Amino acid sequence: MRALIRFGKQPRLRFISHLDLQRFFQRAVNRTGLPIAYTQGFNPHPVMSFGSALALGWTSEYEIIDIKLSAPMGRKRTEDAVRAALPEDLPVLEVRMVDDKHPAPMALVQMSDYRVRLEGDTSGAVIAQIPAFMAKADVPAVKKTKSGEKEINARPLVIAMEPLPDGFSARLMLTERESIKPDLLVALLAEMAGVATPECRIHRTMLLGTDAEGQPKPLMEL
Amino acid sequence: MSLSDRIEKLFMSVQKPVRYMGGEFNAVMKDPAKVDVRYAFLFPDTYEVGMSHLGMKILYHSINARDDAWCERVFSPWVDMADLMRQNDIPLFSLESRTPIKKFDLLGITLQYEMSFTNILEALDLAGIPLRREDRTEGPFVICGGPCAFNPEPLAPFVDLVALGDGEEETQQTIDLYKKWKAAGLPREAYLKMAAEIPGIYVPSLYDVSYNADGTIESMTPKPGSGAPEVVRKAMVKNLDDAAYPEKLIVPYGEIVHNRIMLEIFRGCTRGCRFCQAGMIYRPVRERNIDRLMEMADKLVSSTGYDEISLMSLSSGDYSCLPELAHRMVEKFAARRVRIALPSQRIDNVLTDTLKETQKVKKTALTLAPEAGTQRLRDVINKGVTEDDLIRSVTDAFDQGWSAVKLYFMLGLPTETDEDVLGIADLAEKVRRCYFSIPKERRAPGLRITVSASVFVPKNDTPFQWAAQLDYENVVRRQQLLKQALNRIKGVDFKYHAPDVSYIEAVFARGDRRLGEAMERAWRMGCRFDGWSDQFRYDLWLKAFEETGVDPDFYATRQRPADEVFPWDHLDCGVTKAYLRSEWEKAMRAECTRDCRKGCTGCGMKRYEGACV
Repeated sequence: MRALIRFGKQPRLRFISHLDLQRFFQRAVNRTGLPIAYTQGFNPHPVMSFGSALALGWTSEYEIIDIKLSAPMGRKRTEDAVRAALPEDLPVLEVRMVDDKHPAPMALVQMSDYRVRLEGDTSGAVIAQIPAFMAKADVPAVKKTKSGEKEINARPLVIAMEPLPDGFSARLMLTERESIKPDLLVALLAEMAGVATPECRIHRTMLLGTDAEGQPKPLMEL
Repeated sequence: MSLSDRIEKLFMSVQKPVRYMGGEFNAVMKDPAKVDVRYAFLFPDTYEVGMSHLGMKILYHSINARDDAWCERVFSPWVDMADLMRQNDIPLFSLESRTPIKKFDLLGITLQYEMSFTNILEALDLAGIPLRREDRTEGPFVICGGPCAFNPEPLAPFVDLVALGDGEEETQQTIDLYKKWKAAGLPREAYLKMAAEIPGIYVPSLYDVSYNADGTIESMTPKPGSGAPEVVRKAMVKNLDDAAYPEKLIVPYGEIVHNRIMLEIFRGCTRGCRFCQAGMIYRPVRERNIDRLMEMADKLVSSTGYDEISLMSLSSGDYSCLPELAHRMVEKFAARRVRIALPSQRIDNVLTDTLKETQKVKKTALTLAPEAGTQRLRDVINKGVTEDDLIRSVTDAFDQGWSAVKLYFMLGLPTETDEDVLGIADLAEKVRRCYFSIPKERRAPGLRITVSASVFVPKNDTPFQWAAQLDYENVVRRQQLLKQALNRIKGVDFKYHAPDVSYIEAVFARGDRRLGEAMERAWRMGCRFDGWSDQFRYDLWLKAFEETGVDPDFYATRQRPADEVFPWDHLDCGVTKAYLRSEWEKAMRAECTRDCRKGCTGCGMKRYEGACV
């Protein structure tokens, strides 16, 4: 049996790296008192995985950790135990018990929703470019990857984008092969507007996969 | 923009923002409107170092156990952050609530190491608190504690109170007194005068110092009418089982130096090694009982999720029921995948059974500290360990599957000769032979012997407080001598450092009030994080001494006459000066003193009610 836990990352903790968060959860699951399944081998550690790494500086209300249990456990008890083991800045938002055959959340993620808040004088000009961006078929961009820089067409990676008074919301592709980060999107919009790139605060609102009909669906409901 | 937002603006530009973030699991948050006293606890080093320190954890949680006070943490911002804070006009702030330190009522600072002193000046300056105590008309009272508090004189111009000895009770008393003082609406000086009545509290501003023509101290006496005691006795917790100990520990997000549960099994040490300040100032020995330790460990494992427990003390092998404790710990926690680690094992006390128990959960390098290379010199320093003890421990360890040994020594001990230095290489060679004496099929492959030699720093409140530190040139010469001798032995790694830091450390360990100015000058020239080799600036220190008219050799390399008045003579660490002197004389005759568990040696601790019962 596995527990899928959706939790938030509040502003105060947005500078914890993904690696530090992984280490943190190794101890946090020990604190739950739940029957945690451990890996075999010389240096056993809890069997767990994450939905998708969140970049340094971002906040979220849709982070997922998948913890394997060695014995059946009720949803409510699991939720209470995990909540008690996490600080208030990592709030538990939803818990779902699944069987061992359920695919790993990481394998299901295809897109992510974000809310982006822009700061500074050029924000208005950047937001105003959104309709023009969405009307294009091609938006060439340079994406920084581990192996260097790569030229991509950013437009098809943006599934939806809506202006908001202080920024925008967007649904962006998030698979191993096709993905774009909101800060790159802000830079592209600023370039179109011919203004300096404003500072932005990025908040993840949802991770999504697709259902049998290929329709987007929140990850926790798949 | 709020201070918190302005602080976070810097996080993208600094290394390890997690150092300044707060919000860890078990960090204590309170409503500032509902507490009477705000206490900031500064550890004057990085977050990773400070968060590994047991004393801070004990005091943090014991202050926060009160409803009327809130203790928050502060660490020295690393140089990148400190510079950015100055550029952006951000004052030093607490981790929990991000409140400027200047707004706190009390600022407690722990003095673990002389080389963190400039970080205290840096912290006060970043906080916007005037460095010199006489310039402060508002803001927190600055209270220093910890081992270096037994000679706080170099810091005397900068601190209001010094807390000597065990902090558990005296810290609470300074808080109680603060409430009383505030309610009475008395002037600032009144708090200091009243604090001088708390057991263990020393108030530097209430004492006058006079000097002899040769620069030594003539006397240190309470100011007339101050009511301050002529000698300040340290605070002592009588029974550790009753003393405060946290049931929860803050669990950091990033990696820190010691990221595990620390369980203090006893305080104090009975060995009487003559170089060791901790062995003197933390007397008497007070053990926690096994049931209490098991209960503490159980609560801490549940509340932190840590998978490792360190048994902490000055000499864990001396715990009177160590085999039983180790056995019960291993048995109880094995199923929860919690490892038990015994730090700094004493070579004459590593019990084979205990080794087996710890090995069952974890196998690390065997760490031994013979400290000196010959029996004569080990007798001088009263390290009650023979070569046979060492050979037996090492052979047992190799036989049971250990293959890595770390050996710690000191160079420059009183009476040391070249022969003693070469004795270190001789010992390393014998350890190597022990390994090869075990049949190949029984021993673990890959022998590694690490020899570390630090430079001896004579410390106050030890029998060697009269000793001269070995001069720079001779330290370097002996390091090279040892290096060449060890080069001839296969598989030995030699670790040593330039003597610069140890020299400055020696100046301050036995320094007096006149050093405050040199310290301030050095800090103004840019000295901070002096304990970090990448930050330490020997050249600036020497310049600071020169510009302030201080001869550092007077403090470091001068042997003191028997009757010299020391800057710390008015501070009673429990062990008397007469006892230390008799130990010094025995050292000069290479005579040993027995472990006082085997019979009182008359160190003076019995003058304290409830000690050594």
